[in-house]
Amino acid sequence: MKDQTKQFRRQFRSALLLGSLTAAAVWMTACGSREVKQEPEVAAEDGPFGAYQETLRCGMGRSTIANPKFPEGDTYEDNAYTRYLKNRLNVQIVDDFEANGADYDRQVSLSIAAGQLPDVLKIGSKDLLDELVENDLVADLTDAYETYASDYVKEIYDSYDGRCLDLATYDGRLMAIPGTNLDSAPSVTYIRQDWLEKTGLSIDPEGDKCITVDELELIAKTFLEQDPGGSGNPVGIAYVPYLTVDDYGSSGFALNAVASVFGAFPKVWLADENGQVFYGSTAPEMKEALGKAAEWFQEGILDPQFGTRTWDDITALLTNGQTGIAFGPWHIPDWLLNNVRGMNPEARFAAYAIADEEGKVHVTHSNASNGYMVVRKGYSNPEVLVKMVNLYFDEMVNSKTLAQDQPEVAEYIQQGVDGTARPISLEINAYTSLLDDYSDIRRCVNGEITLDEVRTSESKSVVASVNNYLADPDGAEVTDWAKYTSRMEGIDLIERLTTEEQFAWETPAFWGVTETMKTNNASLGTLEEESFVAIVTGARSLDAFDDFVAAWNEQGGSQITQEVQEAVDGKEN
Amino acid sequence: MKEMAIKSKAARSAGTVRRLEGRPLSSQVMYHLMMFPGMVFLLIFSFVPMFGIIMAFQDYVPAKGILQSEFVGLKHFQYMFSLPDVGRIFTNTLMIALGKILLGTVAAIVFAILLNEIRITVMKKFVQTIVYLPHFLSWVVLAAVVVNMVNLDGPVNQFLAAVGIGKINFLGSNVWFRPLIVLTDVWKEFGYNSIVYLAAITAIDPGLHEAAAMDGATWWKRVWHITLPGMLPVILLMAAMNLTSILSAGFDQIYNLYSPMVYQTGDVLDTYVYRMGLISRQYSFSTAVGLLRSVVGMILMVSANELTKRFTDQKIF
Amino acid sequence: MVTKKGLRGNLGRVVIYLIVLLLGLICLLPLLNILALSFSSSDAAAANIVGFWPVKFTVAAYRKILEDGQFWRSFLISVARVAIQLALNLVLIVLMAYPLSKSEREFKGRNIYMNLLIFAMLFSGGMIPSYLVVRNLGLINTIWALVLPGAVPIFSVIMVMNFFIGVPKSLAEAAIIDGATPLQVLTKVYIPCSKPVIATIALFSIVGSWNDFFGGLIYMTKVANYPLQTYIQTLSVRLEDILNSGGSLTTLVNAMEVSKQNLNAAKIVVSVIPLLLIYPILQKYLITGIVMGSVKE
Repeated sequence: MKDQTKQFRRQFRSALLLGSLTAAAVWMTACGSREVKQEPEVAAEDGPFGAYQETLRCGMGRSTIANPKFPEGDTYEDNAYTRYLKNRLNVQIVDDFEANGADYDRQVSLSIAAGQLPDVLKIGSKDLLDELVENDLVADLTDAYETYASDYVKEIYDSYDGRCLDLATYDGRLMAIPGTNLDSAPSVTYIRQDWLEKTGLSIDPEGDKCITVDELELIAKTFLEQDPGGSGNPVGIAYVPYLTVDDYGSSGFALNAVASVFGAFPKVWLADENGQVFYGSTAPEMKEALGKAAEWFQEGILDPQFGTRTWDDITALLTNGQTGIAFGPWHIPDWLLNNVRGMNPEARFAAYAIADEEGKVHVTHSNASNGYMVVRKGYSNPEVLVKMVNLYFDEMVNSKTLAQDQPEVAEYIQQGVDGTARPISLEINAYTSLLDDYSDIRRCVNGEITLDEVRTSESKSVVASVNNYLADPDGAEVTDWAKYTSRMEGIDLIERLTTEEQFAWETPAFWGVTETMKTNNASLGTLEEESFVAIVTGARSLDAFDDFVAAWNEQGGSQITQEVQEAVDGKEN
Repeated sequence: MKEMAIKSKAARSAGTVRRLEGRPLSSQVMYHLMMFPGMVFLLIFSFVPMFGIIMAFQDYVPAKGILQSEFVGLKHFQYMFSLPDVGRIFTNTLMIALGKILLGTVAAIVFAILLNEIRITVMKKFVQTIVYLPHFLSWVVLAAVVVNMVNLDGPVNQFLAAVGIGKINFLGSNVWFRPLIVLTDVWKEFGYNSIVYLAAITAIDPGLHEAAAMDGATWWKRVWHITLPGMLPVILLMAAMNLTSILSAGFDQIYNLYSPMVYQTGDVLDTYVYRMGLISRQYSFSTAVGLLRSVVGMILMVSANELTKRFTDQKIF
Repeated sequence: MVTKKGLRGNLGRVVIYLIVLLLGLICLLPLLNILALSFSSSDAAAANIVGFWPVKFTVAAYRKILEDGQFWRSFLISVARVAIQLALNLVLIVLMAYPLSKSEREFKGRNIYMNLLIFAMLFSGGMIPSYLVVRNLGLINTIWALVLPGAVPIFSVIMVMNFFIGVPKSLAEAAIIDGATPLQVLTKVYIPCSKPVIATIALFSIVGSWNDFFGGLIYMTKVANYPLQTYIQTLSVRLEDILNSGGSLTTLVNAMEVSKQNLNAAKIVVSVIPLLLIYPILQKYLITGIVMGSVKE
């Protein structure tokens, strides 16, 4: 009897303990009430640039970099751009969090988990946007965009024929402001011009800046044999272990340029003439491209350490003068090849595109957006995001009197303070802005227009650099050299290919993320990467490509293909 | 003697009286009070977050939180075992971890025996300080050094080429990657691990050695018949403790050295979970794998404790 | 222990000395490499040609660190963090280890506590639940977020407990007879004779909290609040990551500028110095501490 009471009491006590523990756990790990209350609006003057009558507090998640180059005393929260915003619109930026690259994504995930999104937030990926919309966490911006976006901003988005805004539109409602992503094709092949001259190779006699795969092979072979860099251990062509990428902007040291000649477009979803979707990495053309790479590896033209040579290692190969061939977006001279020039004052790079026998350069359109800004659901003034876009991508860019009105901001642009300092760190530019800007630069350098007629301050500074370089090509500063090479070689190539109509464009069918992709993409990605490396290095035969395709389909690939097909068909209906 | 006993008895009873009269706290309560602050911290920062393990049985969506995410039972565990990678990952993990334990133990023991022979105090102290150092440096730092050493143009390969063996791409070879991981780990830790063994050697009665030397036993013989048997309990104990780490083959090290070329032999549980969790934000899946690991770790820990108890009359906890 | 005769004369001994020296040298190499990098020019460092001696000697990297305000701010945060963590750890560990060193007979509930500790050591709820706890306690962006979650390092508790078990009971008995409370026995008898193990766990605590960078990444939302290792970790950016996340041109240029290997090496050197200073002080206790703490009989 007594025992029973005792036992009961003990049980009761432990139940009580367990109960309170659970309660504490729920409190500490729960995410608060899920009901969203709309906060009362702060009144503002009318129009795209209407200032708020009381200071509007705007909490943000900020994607930063380690070296923003702020003048002494300025921070991400308090800098020329945020002060500009405060003065013009009476909006006070408060940073809920600041973090670099991958750490930023983690902070975003954590703030979602905690149920405390910042008022305005940048997100990088489409599937995260899907998730936020699905869970009703972000505000509908349709009306805000219609009412407040300035004419110029609307023009920018219209230049993409709706391709850009579509990506942020769900059931006809605009749920985010997308950043724009121009086509940055092709993956440019930068080759050491001084080495070509030194070795006496006559490449591209017709001067159309296009070379064939065989010519590339010849160049690599010659560099390998003659070692014009004098390093003692030259390397022909070096690729990163992941080999291919889905966007030209990230095509540094990737196989894409060569693959496209075979008609292979790895890592993107395409549709054949019957509307049947397929994954580029599994197409037969990819097998041919890999076959070429494997052949090069066999012959020693491809880096014998391919597969373990990292990005940084390849950069070192270039700086050491071990290799003189680099693939990448047009702007690599600005931030990558400048190191080569730093070490080798005689280094010069020429930009080439790799074309097929008919002289066509095969490329795909890029995803029209590569980032989104969203507003937390319930935030008092969702339109503030649109007004900020107006401010930074219309007024700031187009103002002829920026230097007088906002000397601080003009100074920032001059000094190269990082773009992440802007509360909106996305890029929002018209579809043709790359070639438009270049056309200004080229004509100004050639004396066809005056410096005042050059439209953007960025272009003006490029003109100055190019002129500096041309005045003394051998003794020029590295930055002047870099700007000259990226524009007068890199973009010049793009302009030439565009005007000569040598581009053969493919349009990817799908950019989103399906259900099965969410769960299986990581292991499918591993499978692809591993198989390709094994095939190229000869660890597995070229026919193992078919095994890879079979394995890919079996491990969720065919399911994904079906889902993509449904998504594509659904869009058309 | 007797007096003392009486005295202490008296004292003890006096203590009891005092305790009964008004000492506010018995030892028992005091002990609980001493445990209290630490347990509070553990409760808040260890036990409460453990409710997160629930995620392993859900399709966790951060936006919904743990309370509202959908329960899916053992789905993630089934998916884990349906993946063809999983067998290979467990094999790799076991092979690398076992290699590290075996070779690491041998290296540390040998080093301890050798170091014990050093008679110049300054040199002994100096070497000791240096060999412990790599233990305190992170793999992020050390990996760069390892890569510099073993890449195709590095000193190791230059040496191999010079003696006519030919160059080996260690970091890209499925034959050499696992040995490389084991060896570099042994290199980093042997000094630090030798601490325990060195102490065990110093504890052996010097008289035994002297007697054996008088009988004409060689140094080798004495190491074999005196030093090693003297160290045996410690060796067994450390081996048992190491068993518990058999499912962690060293994330930092492998993550900083591996590449797709050697996934086949170098991809381990931790790197796999990391890629799954990071690349596709698979919270539930990575929690499930982590849980499985914890359970296996728990089983090993308890059996190691039992084993040690049986073989050495000692236990870990 | 070993006589000359036993070693077959001096030759054997010389061989042993050489092997030991060689092993020492092998362990010294990584430090030399980092040191050489930090004194090399940034071009040479980027070109991967620095071995164990500086190429194009320069102290530019160190000069740059001196000018880096955030580096020193983070340095101070780390120092404060280590100090608080150390004090907290020592108090909590010793307090817990003492009752746990008693047998179940002497301290009812000891085994339950022990099992709870082992359980907490092996299982964890993962990053998100831990983050939510810290956040809901309002610790985000405070130094407490770095310190409190690691307040009780269980492995260290077990070590100290095992050491206490090895302390002869007779020492404590006299004090108990004099009517000392358990707390007094702990402070007057056990702690004074446990210097080695306390020094050992102190070293663990210092090294652990000084080297940890992940806590800072998660719990600090501004760079200004980062501890040193977190700050250093975020400096070595992977350019391809920026490229793949659609970073703008200026971002790439600026990131490239800061990810100079010689600068990073110099930062590593400076960040290791405090450990190198503390380490010799505690090293002499390390051996006894680890050995006696590992087991109980």
